[in-house]
Amino acid sequence: MSRGRTALIFGIGGQDGAWLADLLVRRGYAVHGTSRDREASSFANLRRLGVIDRVRLHSVALGDFRSVAQALKEVRPDEIYNLAGQSSVGLSFEQPVETLDSIVHGTVNILEAIRFLKLDTRFYNASSSECFGNTAQGRPAAEDHPFHPRSPYGVGKAAAYWAVANYRESYGLFACSGILFNHESPLRPARYVTQKIVRGAADIAAGQADRLRLGELSVARDWGWAPEYVDAMRRMLGHDRPEDFVIATGALHTLEEFVRLAFEGFGLDWREHVEIDPALKRPADITHSVGDPGKAKRLLGWQAETTMPGVVAKLVEAERTRRRSGAPLEAPLPVPA
Amino acid sequence: MRDPFRAALRQGFDAVPKVALITGVTGQDGAYLSELLLAKGYTVHGLKRRSSSFNTGRVEHLYRDPHEEGVRFFMHYGDLTDSTNLIRLMQQIRPDEIYNLAAQSHVQVSFETPEYTANADGIGTLRLLEAIRILGMEKTARFYQASTSELYGKVQETPQKETTPFYPRSPYAAAKLYAYWITVNYREAYGMHASNGILFNHESPIRGETFVTRKITRAVASIRAGIQDCLYLGNLDAKRDWGHARDYVEGMWRILQQDTPDDYVLATGETHTVRSFVELAFGHAGYSIEWSGQGVDEVGIDRATGHSLVRIDPAYFRPTEVDLLLGDPTKARTVLGWSHTTPFRDLVREMVDADMAAIAGTAIAGAAVPAEPAE
Repeated sequence: MSRGRTALIFGIGGQDGAWLADLLVRRGYAVHGTSRDREASSFANLRRLGVIDRVRLHSVALGDFRSVAQALKEVRPDEIYNLAGQSSVGLSFEQPVETLDSIVHGTVNILEAIRFLKLDTRFYNASSSECFGNTAQGRPAAEDHPFHPRSPYGVGKAAAYWAVANYRESYGLFACSGILFNHESPLRPARYVTQKIVRGAADIAAGQADRLRLGELSVARDWGWAPEYVDAMRRMLGHDRPEDFVIATGALHTLEEFVRLAFEGFGLDWREHVEIDPALKRPADITHSVGDPGKAKRLLGWQAETTMPGVVAKLVEAERTRRRSGAPLEAPLPVPA
Repeated sequence: MRDPFRAALRQGFDAVPKVALITGVTGQDGAYLSELLLAKGYTVHGLKRRSSSFNTGRVEHLYRDPHEEGVRFFMHYGDLTDSTNLIRLMQQIRPDEIYNLAAQSHVQVSFETPEYTANADGIGTLRLLEAIRILGMEKTARFYQASTSELYGKVQETPQKETTPFYPRSPYAAAKLYAYWITVNYREAYGMHASNGILFNHESPIRGETFVTRKITRAVASIRAGIQDCLYLGNLDAKRDWGHARDYVEGMWRILQQDTPDDYVLATGETHTVRSFVELAFGHAGYSIEWSGQGVDEVGIDRATGHSLVRIDPAYFRPTEVDLLLGDPTKARTVLGWSHTTPFRDLVREMVDADMAAIAGTAIAGAAVPAEPAE
């Protein structure tokens, strides 16, 4: 069914872009991907998954209409996935303008390019649970839960969500938003808290460090496994109507539980090594965020296989394997407050 | 007005260590300049752009946990398209010297992303100058703008010097032209110590892999190791003025140490063709190249075996090629006392040696830097 289809992935170099490229290549798609600078990017994630030679790469800056339109015109994709843009909530407090620009302006440029070229294509936009802010107590958020973003990143994602809905309603585009809750994998850069925790615990276990500084541990999230989430994206575009879907596990866990399990994975007691650094707390944070994936299960036949304890176990295992193989570590960059 | 006490301290003593801010710290020049300034006792803050790809290989050896004592090298996420971000960082760092090395610096990519290139390279420079003004640092901070010989493009005279009219030939060069003039304008309008270094090509073992010099030296190493058959190139007869990046960052620093801000060409004053770079690079690896055929059918053949080592791929021709770029560094020599010290032949050899060492596994990729220790 998917043989002969062509997909274009904006932001193919990131975690989700690489997993999606891997999935679509295996399903027989011709996969094209973009990065801001094809010449300078190392595409480490695509190399890590062994798909770098099976995708075609283009230089596209999403804020640059010509580069977006040119890529669409050249590739003429059946499916477009927009996974590009500034993706760190923490960094969005430091770079609010660039964050909004890459998310909102970038999404609208793609929608406009589809309109301008009159392309018969299906468009997936990466929305986020950050749109909801805190989810209502005791009730996981479904698609109709009100938005109340709590960061420049969430504000941008909420605006992009409404742009997608607006173009769908105004111009009849097959355009949908996947409202994804947290989804992790070893392809996350070190600046994300899940990788920071797992690598920090591994460093301590190896005697290369003795402390790990973290921010607020009482926050609770709905954590899933990224490779499963990219399959939901594909299913959304295979559905007969363009609709928005919440993608989540439905289970809520605190960051402290995550930390405890990660340290246990390396035979450590987290309480002996973790230091709370108030400087790492965010100006405004979400205390609890959990999604209701019921609609995705009913209409797409999708549900999460891996919940938080399984996610941690897989991250710990991947980190062990990486260290055994001697793969190079990323430079330890300062994590934005 | 300059503070005479502070100025005296600066000249006579090391009592007030200077603070430098380098945008584009993860690039070739950012890495060499960081090493130079750290060796001179500066505290160095580098800005890097967010990326899903690992791209800090060139400065990894300088980086330590900022919580440790005595750390003088810091990295921050920064973006030239976000004024608020630049102002906040500048407010925290309060630099004495700012080196704007950040840019979308690939000429070919600028034809594909012209609007982004103009935003980052052109208006990005304006945003930095404005950040200096908004924070009231016009009289205390010195600003270096990385201008480029690409400004001369379709050259109006040869060799090119500071008074040669510009004729940019790519969206990259057009954006850099705006950056050049806005730097001059802020110097004249607001009395800022803002200067342009018009740098001709400068290469090194950590040059980006898509730049022609590094592409050649990597290919030579790969071919010698038996993991590549042939090197594809565009215009073999393009002539460039190639120096070593290590020499050029010294020139940048000298420009900011002058009492009066001004614009300078930094160049070797010599010109070489891509063809001669290829011959020298292969020669250093023990090959002798013989050319045969013409135009797109020209082939570089290994004299010993008859194998084709170099071929032409018209895809590498630029939509608008620039002419002979040859700089006249007389002003830099007389005013700054600067001239390049690494001969062309040594540059090529150093690059080939580093790439051969990297392939042989004696150094890890990206860190194949014959880096001088920071201190």
